[in-house]
Parts: sequence; structure tokens; C-alpha cells
Amino acid sequence: MPHLKAAISRTLQLALVLWAVVTILFLMFRLMPGNPMAAYIDPTFTLEQQQALMAQFGLDKPLWEQYFIYIGNLLQGELGQSFRYREPVATRIWALLPNTLILTFSSLILAYTFGILAGAYLAWKRGGVVENAAIPLVLTTRAMPEFWLGMVLLAIFSFNLGWFPAGGTRPAGASYDSLWALYTSREFLSYLALPALTLAIYSQGLPLLLMRSNMLDVMKEDFVTMARIKGLSNWTVVVRHAARNALLPVMTSFAIAVGYQLQGNVVVESVFSWPGLGRELVNAVSASDYPLAQGAFLMIAVVVILMNLIADLLYALLDPRISHA
Amino acid sequence: MTETLLSVRDLRVSYKVGASRIDAVDGASFDVPRGTIVGLVGESGCGKTTIAKALTRVIADNASITGGQMMFEGRDLVSLSERQMNALRWREIAFIPQSAMNSLDPVYTVESQLNEVLRRRGGLGRREARKRCEELFELVGIDKGRLSDYPHQFSGGMRQRVAIALALALNPKLVIADEPVTALDVIVQRQILDQLRELQAALGISVIIVTHDISVVAYICDRTVVMYAGKVAEAGSMQATLTEPSHPYTMGLRNAFPDLQGAASGTLTPIEGAPPNLAFPPPGCRFAPRCPFVLETCRQVNPPLETVGPNHVAACHRAGEAVELRTQAARVDTWSGKVLA
Amino acid sequence: MLDATIGKRPGFVRRVFQSLRLPLNDPFAVFGLSIYGLFVLTAIFADQIAPYDPTEILYTPDYMLAADLRPGEDGHILGTTSLGRDIFSQIVHGSRSALLIGLTAAFMVALIGSIVGVVSGYFRGWIDIVLMRLADIAFGIPFLPFVIVLAAFLQPSIWNVVIAMALVLWRDTARVIRSQVLTLRSRGYVDAARVAGSSDMKIILRHIAPNILPMSFLYGSIAIGWAILTEASISFLGFGDPQSISWGYMLQDAFASQALAKQAYYWFVPPGVCIILVVSAGFFITRGYENILFPKLGR
Repeated sequence: MPHLKAAISRTLQLALVLWAVVTILFLMFRLMPGNPMAAYIDPTFTLEQQQALMAQFGLDKPLWEQYFIYIGNLLQGELGQSFRYREPVATRIWALLPNTLILTFSSLILAYTFGILAGAYLAWKRGGVVENAAIPLVLTTRAMPEFWLGMVLLAIFSFNLGWFPAGGTRPAGASYDSLWALYTSREFLSYLALPALTLAIYSQGLPLLLMRSNMLDVMKEDFVTMARIKGLSNWTVVVRHAARNALLPVMTSFAIAVGYQLQGNVVVESVFSWPGLGRELVNAVSASDYPLAQGAFLMIAVVVILMNLIADLLYALLDPRISHA
Repeated sequence: MTETLLSVRDLRVSYKVGASRIDAVDGASFDVPRGTIVGLVGESGCGKTTIAKALTRVIADNASITGGQMMFEGRDLVSLSERQMNALRWREIAFIPQSAMNSLDPVYTVESQLNEVLRRRGGLGRREARKRCEELFELVGIDKGRLSDYPHQFSGGMRQRVAIALALALNPKLVIADEPVTALDVIVQRQILDQLRELQAALGISVIIVTHDISVVAYICDRTVVMYAGKVAEAGSMQATLTEPSHPYTMGLRNAFPDLQGAASGTLTPIEGAPPNLAFPPPGCRFAPRCPFVLETCRQVNPPLETVGPNHVAACHRAGEAVELRTQAARVDTWSGKVLA
Repeated sequence: MLDATIGKRPGFVRRVFQSLRLPLNDPFAVFGLSIYGLFVLTAIFADQIAPYDPTEILYTPDYMLAADLRPGEDGHILGTTSLGRDIFSQIVHGSRSALLIGLTAAFMVALIGSIVGVVSGYFRGWIDIVLMRLADIAFGIPFLPFVIVLAAFLQPSIWNVVIAMALVLWRDTARVIRSQVLTLRSRGYVDAARVAGSSDMKIILRHIAPNILPMSFLYGSIAIGWAILTEASISFLGFGDPQSISWGYMLQDAFASQALAKQAYYWFVPPGVCIILVVSAGFFITRGYENILFPKLGR
């Protein structure tokens, strides 16, 4: 099973990258100007809290010792206390992660559904008026600042037309029995619509252009001609053979796009006051809540790296030439 | 058994290249009798593959059939509607491609690709299709355990067998094989050809083999159609055309290939020069610029296909002198080409 | 001997220009180049074009704060901000920071990426392994969050964007350049030059550099777009330089001043359109290099 070996070596490689990112983060926050303890201790903490954190993170110990304590704490999911919220960073981040993931996945599923269909269509209608207009248009969506697109959509659909709420995830004062009840409520969908649409408009260009160029390549393949000679229906030829083959790299790109989207989330979450990881990172940095900033950054980095790994594994899984080598 | 299955008459296929039109097939006529193997032979660019594709009516986007008839069991394939044509495809006319590697879809198992044809085109149920898959694999001599393998897991020769199984799936009347063994080594070539011959005889189907290799024709075909520059140069029974060729091009081709048995009889003599540019074909006989026996008329008048013997036609002004020309053609210096030992 | 023949080839500068092959017959590329030209001119003559100082707080003739004027009112082409600043003048001056950031960041990315790529591909061995592992790590760093965290330690400044890009985004360029250098190496003449006694430095400058320059240029022009977009995002999030007027700053100002609720499209649409124009100009020039739009997929 050579692909298993490749998967393991890739996993190890990415584990190494993760370790490097963690180390860079450690050095950045320890070597920053001012009191080295500022990374974990806020002057307004009570004396006991300060002493507890001192002990927990070994802040009075030499740097190399602090490093091992830091790694040890990380492995236990211990990220320190948020200055602003007076609660463990890990708790805070776990609470925000679902919001970010819901926004990311809903927008990407939208973007990929549209992009794949439109890309396949453009490849099929190669050279027409539609294509000549569509490609520059798609390139333009890639050139947009996502938050600006969000602002325009907000100004039109929320402030002018009043179709959607202006931000947040729920009406003021509304409470739900569980997170599940919130996420499945109609109100939540109306809050989700604009930010998800914003991210989707920005993201559809990638699957669209990728699908289009793959389709154009695949349509020239002998097996597509053969499918026609077999008398298979046009639908079978285009969908079952051409699109199925062209889809492979597009599906792989989905995982990478998830990691990539998390970066776009940072600004879009801020525009729509969406309580996610990105907005929290921005707020934490603005408020000098260093433990929280560190934690949010780390979480985003973990998802990015994880998604790179999933992309590789997905490709191996979807392509029989690799999975059945 | 001279009943004709397919009769091609004056077929024209043109490609649009930029502003100009190129007649890749320029008035080709030949017959395929039932239960025979017909070899369509010629150099690359002579129009043989274009004819093969035209018979399925799946041709390049810039190509079109501009004239002639392809009578298949009383129906003219040229004038059938796309819907009627599609009904014929694979059920009656199947295809074996040159490279089975590229013509099998890499993401589906071989069984799934057989099933696609059996179920979508043949209307078989799940269980019947499975049975037929096993039958077909047995027919072409592959272990049925390999049905669930993907194309890339087979060797080149095995893949070609899969392609044959695929072509036979719906019991077609005509199988068109486009350079079916070109990509294979000589030993595998013979195995595949032997198998094709066997299956053809057992199933009583007709086969058109498109090849540039006249030794393949000699090895397996009943009849030969020699193509040159979009036209039929000579056609007839394999025996007649290869032992008593009446067209200088056929004589030249015969000199240029070893036979498949591997015993090189004498020397190999290539034909000097290259086929004409079909955008500007020469006015008279298209072979005239390369022909060692060229006359003045050859350069001006295009020779028609004429009967030169029983079941044997050729398009040459000097077909009457064929016996004399054959002796000359056997001499290497006639072709004044480089001699390959 | 070999050097003599090399000397006869067209000059270095001319070869660079030849190899860039600016696609002047493609209408899209011409469109893109024209936009670049327009913005460069605007940036250079910003003081002459802009009717007001972009940071000056303006008053109406009757000594009222000239706040939230609509386009055309009191001669303000695009109206004024809530603080009474002229929007058109801000747009014009915004082109300066956009081009400054864009060009500097592009230069840094192309320079660092090319150097890493050339060193990696030319010398191979352990240095290649080390540099490519570094690139792997750079690929693991989420870029925009990194810029934000960086802003936590450094003074808020638009240069943070350039620093962050130089630290992280060289990875894409480096990988592509490296594989190009590997291809170049495999074509014998590098070895031939070595045998002839040329030094590594000489070979790199004479044989490698001219061939990889188009690719560096290409990645540089893509980086211009990235830099401008990143700067806009950072400024929008409030980590930009409050002293300099940029399009991102304008959008932040508009967002914070309730321009959306006030339906002041004339305020927040023009900066966005300017960003789109400049960034897409880069895309149009490099059209056909689709994979370059998706640096993450070119792996």
C-alpha cells in the first residue's frame, strides 16, 4: 500500500509545519516589546489569578523552560485566560468555532455548487458571447475586497430594502434551547444569508475557472469521444464522463479553499458582526487580549493545515489511479 | 457469402481549417461483405481514420460529411437523423480504439464501463448485465475476477482485450477497429489479432481494421482497401491485392513493411516523398508525384477505379501493364530510396 | 570561449524586455496596462488633481461643517465625509498609498521569492531542503490573521502589510521559480558554463536570471493586487496608519460613520471600484495564467 505510506509521510510533514507555526507564535508573543509576562497576565487580574497563571505557564522560568511548558499546555488544550472575558481562552474559542465553520461551509458549498455548474456550462459553450462576458466578470469578483462587497450588500439588502438583518446571528434578546435549535431556526438563516452570500460571490471564481479549464481538457480526451461513439446520451457523456473527471481537482481544491476562506472570514465576520473566530481575533488584537489573540490565530492555523492534509488525502481517495495503484 | 453489409459510395468528408476546406476523404467507395474482415490501409493522413470515425458519425467539430452514401443494411448512415444514428451506435456498429488506455475512462472500473453500455444501451437488467460481463471476459480470455479493476491496473494487451470485450458487448454487426494493435509489441499484436479473427469467425460479424501496417492486413484480412490521399487507390480480396497489386502505391506499400511472422522477405524499401497537401491536391493522379511509373496523363487526368480482375479494382492509368510493373516494383532501384537491410 | 559567444547575444536589458513579451495585442492586457498607467499618473499628480487636502476638515461658505454633502453639493464632486473631508480628493490621494504599497510589496515578494527559488533550485542539496521546508511552513501560516497579529506588536502602519507579505507570500513565487531553475539546469548549458570555468554567480546572472525574470514579473504583478487588497482589509479592520489616506481607510471611515445606514453610496462605492480596477488590471495583464490566480493550487 504505497499510498498509505505517502499519506503518513504527508501527515508527519504537516505535523512538523504545525509545530513550526506554534513555535513562531510562541516567539512572537514572548519577544514582543514590554513585559514578557504581558502575553498571559493582565494587570487587572487579581493577585491569586496572576500567581496561578505565573505557575501554570512558568513565566518566572527561563525562556526555553517556558517553551516546553507552553507546548505541554497546548497539548492539553490549555491556552490561558482571556483578559476581557475572564474565562479560559479554549472555552471561548470552542464556542466560536461552530459559527465560523457554519459560515465557511455554507458559503463554500454555495460557491462550489454554482462554480462547478457554471464552469462546466462555460466549458460546454466554449467561445460564445457568454464566455467572453463571463470570464472578465469572474476575474472582477476575484479582485473585490470581500468586506467591501459585504458593505454594498448590507447597504442594499439590509439598510435599503430591509430584507435581511444587519448583523449578528440572532435577534436581540432571543434565546434558544440549544445551539442546534439556533442553527436550525429561520432567523438564523436570515442572519447567515448575507455574509454567506458575500463569501460565496468571492469564492465561486476558484471552482468556476478550475472546473472550466479542466472540462476543456477532459473534453478532448479519447474516452469522451468513445462515449459518444457508444451512443450514450449527451448528458451521460458530459456529466458522467467529462464532468466526473474534471471534478476531481475541483473537489480537492474545496479543502484548500476552506483553509483559505478562514482568512476572508476575518474581515467579513467583522462587517456582519458575526461572532466567529476571525472577528474575535480582530477584537482581541485591538483590545490587547493577547492570550485570546494567540488562541484564535492558532485555531485558524490548525484548520488551514488540517485542510491541506485533507485535500491531499481526498485526492488520493477520489482518484482510482492513486487509491488503486 | 457475398451479401454486402456496408457499402460506401463516393464518400466525402471535409475539414474546415481556418478559411480553407480540406477534403480528407474525397470520393471513397468500397464494400464490406457480411462476415469478413476488411483492411483499410494507407499512410497516416490518407483519410482512413476519418472514414472510420465518419462511419460512427462522431467526427471532429470542424469536420463534416459533405457527400456520398454509407449504405448499412439498406439504411444510408449519411442521411439518418442524429437520433436514428444514435440508435445504431454500438448496438450495430461498435468501435475498437487505437489506445485503450486513453479511451477507457480512468475513474470507473472496467465492469462499470461494460455495464454502462449493457444497461444504458442494451437495456439489460443488473443481473443480466453481470452475467454478460463475465461472459465477455471469458470470451476475450481475461479472468472475471478482474472486472472490478480500473483500466490503469491492466497491461497494454489486456486493455486492448477489454476494448474488444466492450465492442462485442451488444453483439454488433460491424466492428470498426482503428489501429487496434499499433501500440503493442509484435507478440501481443499477434495474440490480439488471432483472437479478433477467432471471435469474428465465431460470431459471424464484419470487421473493418484501419491500419497503416500492410502486414496486419496480410495476417488477418479477407479484403483490402488501399487508401491514398483521400481516395481509394485499390481494393479487392486480400490475396488479389497483395499478391497481384495493380496500383503502384500498393506495390510500394508491400515493399515497405516486414510481414507479421517476423520473417523479413528480402529488403524493406520505403516510398520516397510524402503524401500531398490535401489543401492543394495535385490535379491528376494524387500518387503521380511519388510514382516511379508516372506518365504525362497521370499528372493531368485523375484515373477512375476500374475492374482489373475478379472482385478487384484499381485506380491507375497503367493498371493494364500491372504484370510488368510488378516485376519492376520488386527491384529496389525502382524506388531509388534508401535501403533498409 | 563560451563567454565570448554569450557576449554577442542581445543586451541583458533588451532580453528582459523581449522575454516579458507584454501582450499588447490582447485587448484585456491593453485595458489592464491603461488602468495601471492612469493610476500611476493620478498618484504622481495627486496634488494637482485633488481640489482639497484629503485630511482637511472643510466648511461651507456659511461656516458650517461641510459634513455629509452629497455629490455635486458645494462643488464636491463625490461629496464629503461625516468629518467634512472631500471624498474625491481622498480617492485621488488613495492611489498614492495603493501604488506605494502595491509596488513595494510586489518588489519584495518577487525579489525574495526569486532569490529563494534560484538558490534552492541552483544549489539543491541541503539548502534546497531547508528552504523548501521553510516554504511549507509559510504555507501553513494564515496570511491575513498573521498580518493582524503582527499589527499587535508593531505600530499601526501600512508597512506592516509589506513586512508580512515579505515574510509569508514569497512562498508561491519561490516554488515556481525553483521548478523553473531546475528545468533550466537540466538543459545542459549551465553545466557547460561550469566546465568552461564560469563562477556560480556569473552563471546565475547570465543564464538563469534572464530566463526567470518573466515569471518573477508575473508573480510581482499578482502581488500588487494582493498587497492592495490586504492593505484595504487591514486598514478596514483599524490596523492601518491613521495618518495616511488609503482606500481601505476610507472604507473603514465610511463603515464606522454609518455610511451604510445613511445610504451614502458615493462614499463607499468609489474606493471599492478603484481597488477592483487596480487589482483586476493585474489579473487582466496576466490573463491566461489561470493557475497564478490560485497560488495555493499550483503545488
